[in-house]
Amino acid sequence: MSKPECEEALDRLFEYIDHELPEDEIHRIGEHLRECPPCEAEHRINEKIKRLVNRTGHDVAPDELRQRILTTIRATRPDAGA
Amino acid sequence: MTDTTDFDFEAEALSYMDQLYAAALRMTRNGADAEDLVQETFAKAFAAQDKFTPGTNLKAWLYRIQTNAFINTYRKKQREPKRSDAETVEDWQLAAAAEHTSSGLASAEDRALDAIGDDEVKRALSELSDDFRMAVYLSDVEGFAYKEIAQIMDTPVGTVMSRLHRGRKLLREKLRDYAAERGVYEKAPVKKKEDGGTCRVQA
Repeated sequence: MSKPECEEALDRLFEYIDHELPEDEIHRIGEHLRECPPCEAEHRINEKIKRLVNRTGHDVAPDELRQRILTTIRATRPDAGA
Repeated sequence: MTDTTDFDFEAEALSYMDQLYAAALRMTRNGADAEDLVQETFAKAFAAQDKFTPGTNLKAWLYRIQTNAFINTYRKKQREPKRSDAETVEDWQLAAAAEHTSSGLASAEDRALDAIGDDEVKRALSELSDDFRMAVYLSDVEGFAYKEIAQIMDTPVGTVMSRLHRGRKLLREKLRDYAAERGVYEKAPVKKKEDGGTCRVQA
């Protein structure tokens, strides 16, 4: 099952998922993933984890922090004394 | 600020506050430090705004300031033991002599991931070393390109790739462990390798 195409696909899987590969490699690996269920399973799992991590980045800055930063910036603005 | 452009540094920079705060929370792993870090980031950014070139990537510029501030202030404060993650390109290439998981295990893992909640993902991230956690976060949440992450973390692209590979591999193992603890995923037996690492027995 571990053909050279599998090796390439698994080796480049993160770059594939992160859109870091040139067109021809994207095409070649994409084609392999469509034909090879075990490689596609790895692909799907890693992509799912990337999406899970993506969901953790949606905290909103507390209002109090926003106010504190705005106050600091306005006090130090070059035209603050004008 | 230059008069020749309509670039409003203040408004543009402030528009990234939520994102910087979310990243700071993942970096520092607590709310009070995260607030201090974001405040320090903006103070530094505004003090250095003359050094920013309008038209270049402001978001990456801000992240770089925040990452430096984190490394210089908070990492020291947290007195985190120095990790001995030997990160060479050969190392991850070797580790990535990746194998298929058996199809039964893979589909069980795939299903188990559907039951993973945000809190578990945050916990797994928090257990990664700072460098791994930041690389994974900058890629997966912020969608920065490897080249941008390299600039933000002030490290070669090869090191970014190594951190992503190893960070994600560890993250996946942790999520697998959590799923197994909850009984939604049965792990394959794990055997020790001579180098002290572990590898999954192929079913």
